[in-house]
Amino acid sequence: MTTLDTAASQPDTMEAVARVENLSITFRRGALNIQAVRGVSLEVRRGEILGLVGESGSGKSVLGMSLLGLLPGEPAPVTSGAVTVCGKDMLNGSAGLRRAVRRQHLGAVFQDPMTSLNPTMRVGRQVIEAAGSEDEAVRLLRAVGIPDATRRMASFPHELSGGLRQRVMIAMAIAGRPALVIADEPTTALDVMVQAQVLALLRSLRDEIGCSFLMITHDLGVAAQIADRIAVLYAGRIAELGPTATVLHAAAHPYSAALTRSRLSLSSERGRPLVTLPGEVPDPAGPPPGCPFEPRCALARDECSVTMPEPVEVAPGHLSACILPPGEVAAAFAPAPPASRITTLDEAAADVPAAPAGRPASAAAAEPAVAARVQDVAKTFRVKSGRRRVGLQALRGVSLQVAEGESVAIVGESGSGKSTMLRVIAGLERADRGGITLGRGAGPQMVFQDAGASLTPWLTVGALIGERLRHAHLGAAQRGERVEEALAHVGLPAHVARARATQLSGGQRQRVALARATVVPPEVLLCDEPTSALDVSLAAVVLNLVARLRRELGMAVLFVTHDLSVARVVADRIAVMYLGRIVELGPAEQVVASPQHPYTKALVRAVPDLGVTPAALPGEPASPLDPPPGCAFNPRCPVAEPACADPDFLPRLIKLRGEQDRTVACIRAEVN
Amino acid sequence: MAVAEPYIAPATPPARRGRPAILRAHGRLDVAAASLLVLVTLIALLAPVLAPHNPIQPVGLPMQSPGSGGFLLGTDSIGRDILSRVLFGWRSSWFAALAVIASGLLIGGLIGLVAGTLGGVADTVLMRITDGFLALPAPVVAIAVVAALGGGFVHTLIAVAVVWWPFYARIVRGEIRLLAARPHVEAARLAGAGRLRIAVRHLLPGAVPAAVITASLDVGNLVLTLAALSFLGLGQPQPAPELGADTAHNLTYLLQQWWIPVMPGIAVMVLALAANIAGDGVRNLLGDR
Repeated sequence: MTTLDTAASQPDTMEAVARVENLSITFRRGALNIQAVRGVSLEVRRGEILGLVGESGSGKSVLGMSLLGLLPGEPAPVTSGAVTVCGKDMLNGSAGLRRAVRRQHLGAVFQDPMTSLNPTMRVGRQVIEAAGSEDEAVRLLRAVGIPDATRRMASFPHELSGGLRQRVMIAMAIAGRPALVIADEPTTALDVMVQAQVLALLRSLRDEIGCSFLMITHDLGVAAQIADRIAVLYAGRIAELGPTATVLHAAAHPYSAALTRSRLSLSSERGRPLVTLPGEVPDPAGPPPGCPFEPRCALARDECSVTMPEPVEVAPGHLSACILPPGEVAAAFAPAPPASRITTLDEAAADVPAAPAGRPASAAAAEPAVAARVQDVAKTFRVKSGRRRVGLQALRGVSLQVAEGESVAIVGESGSGKSTMLRVIAGLERADRGGITLGRGAGPQMVFQDAGASLTPWLTVGALIGERLRHAHLGAAQRGERVEEALAHVGLPAHVARARATQLSGGQRQRVALARATVVPPEVLLCDEPTSALDVSLAAVVLNLVARLRRELGMAVLFVTHDLSVARVVADRIAVMYLGRIVELGPAEQVVASPQHPYTKALVRAVPDLGVTPAALPGEPASPLDPPPGCAFNPRCPVAEPACADPDFLPRLIKLRGEQDRTVACIRAEVN
Repeated sequence: MAVAEPYIAPATPPARRGRPAILRAHGRLDVAAASLLVLVTLIALLAPVLAPHNPIQPVGLPMQSPGSGGFLLGTDSIGRDILSRVLFGWRSSWFAALAVIASGLLIGGLIGLVAGTLGGVADTVLMRITDGFLALPAPVVAIAVVAALGGGFVHTLIAVAVVWWPFYARIVRGEIRLLAARPHVEAARLAGAGRLRIAVRHLLPGAVPAAVITASLDVGNLVLTLAALSFLGLGQPQPAPELGADTAHNLTYLLQQWWIPVMPGIAVMVLALAANIAGDGVRNLLGDR
């Protein structure tokens, strides 16, 4: 470390590795001034993990870039305040000084390692560049838990899995023992289980190396796992800053309290609308004069819209930018949630459970009509691997039945085939084998993960929704009425019909996609991770909307997600998929509460939650290019037996004894 | 109750976000480019009115220097008014270029759209044909067409159009292939749109900017190509006023009466320059979507 001299000359920076003082950053976009950061002060202490939590547009990434001294130079943003790392000025310092600080004291991990690693260089060379020597590079790769590190040095980034790539990035970030590592959404692109592994790795690295981490994330659950302190950012300002436990469990700011409450967990209440945070983040080009959260705050008072509250200490080491006494906020959010703005009275009254727990599962008398039946469907894609063409086995014999009006969630990691299954049912892909039977109602409709990309950019919302009414023989006026009706149904005003997708926010686009899918209610609504790209507060709104539309329009819903906590609240039943097969199927609550398949158990344990340390299953997901013989899960299975790897063993879904509609595909269930 | 979640209107009306700011930043350039385009077209349209003399008949003493004898740009070797010849030549060059571009966009766009939408064998066959045309050199085709159909400006235009469309076919086809892989096309399929509807409503509009930008930057090229063909004697037959031909045939006077070949040459340059600036303007307008 070369900071000793600086530290000695400035004793007050001993504690803080990095310090941000009254920082404001404004970007010019033509005539607009985008105020990304507006007067933020915080410090990262030596050896601590500071979680920086905020929705998109909160300014959290810009803050991270300013600490790295990597704000865009051309056109340069207007800045004021101070950013120092190890006593060096990262805001106004020369490019050379900032580069030196980055080299000596800083490390960085970004969301997508594929774009931050050089695709044309072997990872070994890239790590050696950061580490200085080959031995050190191997040591670092071992330290971040890359198996067979010496051999991996010769791999190109694209030859590694997402988890391994992120580990390589982390190895490069901690090379040279930096004082501070900026990690910007390092686990967002990873599967739950790999995410749990990486979080555990970051925690252990902090303990071993003693460097500080600035953990930038949109997910309170992730920050809760790993951070010592949490700073909640809203519209470029600090809303709350304090020790993790305090911010999570005794929030003094209504925004952090609402964020915590709208977060989905495995214990969220099912069967009633989720608690949501209404509204959207204020426009950074013209934020309101008062408290930026005032328009969405359930506790807002008149004076909130006039003066902008500064973060003040409400307890030692606990700052909150709210004029209300912390006790009042805590009381308002603590026991029984107050009637939030969205849960309207009649909706609360018409509280038909999202999961009809009383569905007569065993009532053989009236077998519900089938909305979609998938029978032994297989699908193999031909893909290029190097110079050879190989088969990617996306689906390897899947059977599933969705009853009319039922909601089934398909859960799995990337590569499990869950999206392919939706696409086969939608008719976007043709199955190699097996059959799809659909109900007699309107054909299936799909809601995509990226709603923006699913809306033709040059057509108006009205034209897009109206397209589905073409065969209904309606006049232009009638068609317009139906479009407005559909928009109203998803909570959008009629004038949105004249807008184009590019003019809408992420939440509005997802609503438009839903309106388009339901203007003629389909028999089955297929949802492909519609919330995974949305902020926490928006995700809850969309999930509520899907539940309400399903109830009002009597649709069946097939909901693909990688997130068990989402699956649990949207679905009556959950199907867990692994490498192209369903490994467990049963009522949502039971699958989560008492998982039977070892894979489901591992999934449940890996879900990040407040106050729970997730247990990560070691190892990498197997490749659908070359599924392991026998039970595909056997190489990672903690309770695997030799018989599991027998190429002749084909795990079938078997009814669990004593439980009517639960099936598991595991050798242990067969033995029983 | 249909509306459960209140819709909170964004602070600024959505329609005013993003793009207008970009437009404003480039606004001045776009206005300049657009007015240039209008000016060039106006000159072409009004050439008969603007021209002070008959371009084909000798109207004064030969080889008068610019400004003398009331001839702004002087007279040529047989006493025709150069200004009038340049104006009429301007007119024919400009409209010829526009005609070839329009036909190229139409034919190339259609073939590119069909190939890009259908994919597979149709794509391969259409694109190989396109490649074949792409390999033809414009002057050779022009000579062949003129030889087959006889001389004449229209035949030259046909020849140029034959070699010009493949560029647009390639560009449109490439754009369509990119767009076809986007989710909005699948969403349209699920919404019940047929092949034709997807091609025309959900694919074609996305390829228009690229094609129009290329086309607008192409006008300058075409003016030069047409001038070059006239230069080779493949353009309008004498004595019709043609910028390229007038430059070529009068090169011998370059040292003594420089204005005779230089004036039409400058007109070609100005025309090409104006088209390129206008093309840049169009690109700024459409490219920043």
